[in-house]
Amino acid sequence: MEGSLFISSSNLMKKFILNCVIGIIIVFVLDFAVGESLEYFYFKQTSGFQYRTTYSMEKTNEDILVFGSSRANHHYKPSVFKKKLNSSFYNTGRDGNFIFYQTAVLKSILKRYKPKLILYDFTGEFNINQTDYDRLSSLLPYYKNHSEIRNIVNLRSQYEPVKNFSRIYPYNSTIGNIAIGNININGLRTKDKNGYVPLYGEWKEPLKMRDIIKFEKTDKNKINVFKDFLSLCKENGIAVMVIVSPVYYTYDKDYSLELCEEICNEYKIPFFNFTKNQDFLESPYLFDDVSHLNDKGATLFSEKVADLVRED
Amino acid sequence: MLFNSFEFLLFFPLVAIVYFILSPKYRWLFLLVASYYFYMNWQPIYAILIFTSTVVTYLCALKIDSTPVKSRKKAYLTTSLIINLGILFLFKYYNFFNDSIFGLLTDWGIRMTLPNFDLLLPVGISFYTFQAVGYTIDVYRGDIKSEKHFGIYALFVSFFPQLVAGPIERAVNLLPQFKETKKIDYAQAAQGIKLMIWGYFMKIVVADRLAIYVNSVYGIPEYHSSITLFIATIFFAFQIYCDFAGYSNIAIGCAKIMGFDLMTNFRRPYFAQSCAEFWSRWHISLSTWFKDYVYIPLGGNRVGTTKNYRNILITFVISGLWHGANWTFVIWGGLNGLYQVLFKILKISPKRKTENTEFNFIYIGNLILTFVLISFSWIFFRANTFTDALVIIERMFTVAGNLFIGDKSSFAYSVFAIIVLMLKEGYDEFFPNGNLFFKSTKKSVRFISYSLVIILILLLGVFDGGQFIYFQF
Repeated sequence: MEGSLFISSSNLMKKFILNCVIGIIIVFVLDFAVGESLEYFYFKQTSGFQYRTTYSMEKTNEDILVFGSSRANHHYKPSVFKKKLNSSFYNTGRDGNFIFYQTAVLKSILKRYKPKLILYDFTGEFNINQTDYDRLSSLLPYYKNHSEIRNIVNLRSQYEPVKNFSRIYPYNSTIGNIAIGNININGLRTKDKNGYVPLYGEWKEPLKMRDIIKFEKTDKNKINVFKDFLSLCKENGIAVMVIVSPVYYTYDKDYSLELCEEICNEYKIPFFNFTKNQDFLESPYLFDDVSHLNDKGATLFSEKVADLVRED
Repeated sequence: MLFNSFEFLLFFPLVAIVYFILSPKYRWLFLLVASYYFYMNWQPIYAILIFTSTVVTYLCALKIDSTPVKSRKKAYLTTSLIINLGILFLFKYYNFFNDSIFGLLTDWGIRMTLPNFDLLLPVGISFYTFQAVGYTIDVYRGDIKSEKHFGIYALFVSFFPQLVAGPIERAVNLLPQFKETKKIDYAQAAQGIKLMIWGYFMKIVVADRLAIYVNSVYGIPEYHSSITLFIATIFFAFQIYCDFAGYSNIAIGCAKIMGFDLMTNFRRPYFAQSCAEFWSRWHISLSTWFKDYVYIPLGGNRVGTTKNYRNILITFVISGLWHGANWTFVIWGGLNGLYQVLFKILKISPKRKTENTEFNFIYIGNLILTFVLISFSWIFFRANTFTDALVIIERMFTVAGNLFIGDKSSFAYSVFAIIVLMLKEGYDEFFPNGNLFFKSTKKSVRFISYSLVIILILLLGVFDGGQFIYFQF
């Protein structure tokens, strides 16, 4: 009796395992097919922030590159730099992506060529913030073919190499943008100019004091990766300037900026802070919001930076 | 450890395989160790609280069972309640009551203060405390005998699939199952996997996606227009449902794979035709807990009409407080109690839908009315403060403006996720014997349907930092 129970139980176990295997195979095949299609269409895009990341990592050949987040992307106007410095220029800034993203992009660029000058727009915070790790998802489509960025992407979690076995995973939540990037309907996207995306709003609120950002715990990963960025530039003989672009608020103390300046001094890198520049603090019409310049503001700011470059 | 973490996807299959390989004699011990490991992954020190609750309820139940003297039984029950609810009070409610009472006294000109405790709320404390307390009450009432095996009882309190967010199990259902020799049951395991897949879809694709929009709107309601606040509130209704029902599905699915049957916790609540019916479909394990241990002991509906209304209101206010130490939760609970009372007064109690119910305008009207009322109460549940809730309600009816979309793709995924959810739920509700897709008689169709759900999870799921809302309760 017990023997027959065992046989029946063992048969059920076999059936269960067999069905699990069938299920896994179906998922595997679908994952492969859908993932491959997404990869094809992702890299076929010719506009949008995903295309700009691809261009930054795989196609740039300009003399001057700007690195940073949205503030870099909307603040550094290529036409001004081209005219004033007579050099080719590309803006690699991407909304919501900070220190980790920028260093990864630089690593990919350095595999191909060495730009003459890098303007690093510092916005990030050195606080521990999980979101900064989550946002590394923007680099997942490049994980497969860009081994140089893997150690940075792996900061997301120790399981990243395993997760990337899935072909869909790197393209998670990107299908909408991929579709728009391939359809290319006029007006769906603001056109960039050498990576620069202008903003046209005009800020009308009065200048306000911003609360001190509490500096709870320093994220050593961020410090190390930022130092990596500066070291890579130095090792490759690339001139670099760290710039903090204007804001339309006042503040007493920003620990991250202080730390950034300290690190720049340590590496003997020029550091310029525009957050207290009166030309901007007295001109709300140069801003789209308190943290972003509009096109007019970007033109003025770019001229000031280009002058600094010339002086330097 | 979160169900939607990669760690859990490694942990659970390993536990399930080892569980079936092990000799039945040692399985309870293995599950107990696995459950404590699961919990201690979050905050190891707080495992002491589960252990304390386990020891106290175990000993008190033994004493209640062994003493024939009624007053002593009551004393042991009271001891168990005071210790368990005391711990819950200290960790969850002390600061709230401290601030509320002394705040009120200060308003009256009496200056008195007690220091607040800076304690992290232990995950799932309300769930396991209620489960353990329910057990002691059952023993006191003589509904069940006390469990003599401490290890089995400890497993009942800490069983990992339902430890941190339910379903809140009854001893009479779960305890005997730990003593059975479980063999792998193909149908049950397959059902468990299906429940888990759908649970993950609800959590990762629907709830976490909607949370992105809801958080950005409810974070600064004073900047948003009427239409935006309406959409965010509807999104939250689906978010909270999918967050919690998703968790329950994963929990029930995990348990099923290992051969355990946990109680159904949600039955498509947004298809309810009245608020009363909603509560018979929403968080069933908690609703029945409150019914059995609060509402009925208060007299339930066996008392006069006024007292019945009072009992309903008290039960719902306590239920609100159970959800969180904040006045917003109290008001949410009170509002839901008020709905029940008003429906009773107005004698609006549509019969529950049966297979023969006509799908007509009255049915649809009841369904929409219930959804609107319940969604309105969610405003208090979700708003960060009572003031925010009032701002939201005021702006909903006064501030015209454009719809805030945020990230267009994310908004589109949210709408798509709700459509997929409602198509499945609607089909299950109205065609319980249907045989399309997940219920197809053809195995290949079922396989492909569930595989496509997994593909949707990979494609549209939110993999970054999604905590289950109910963990905080």
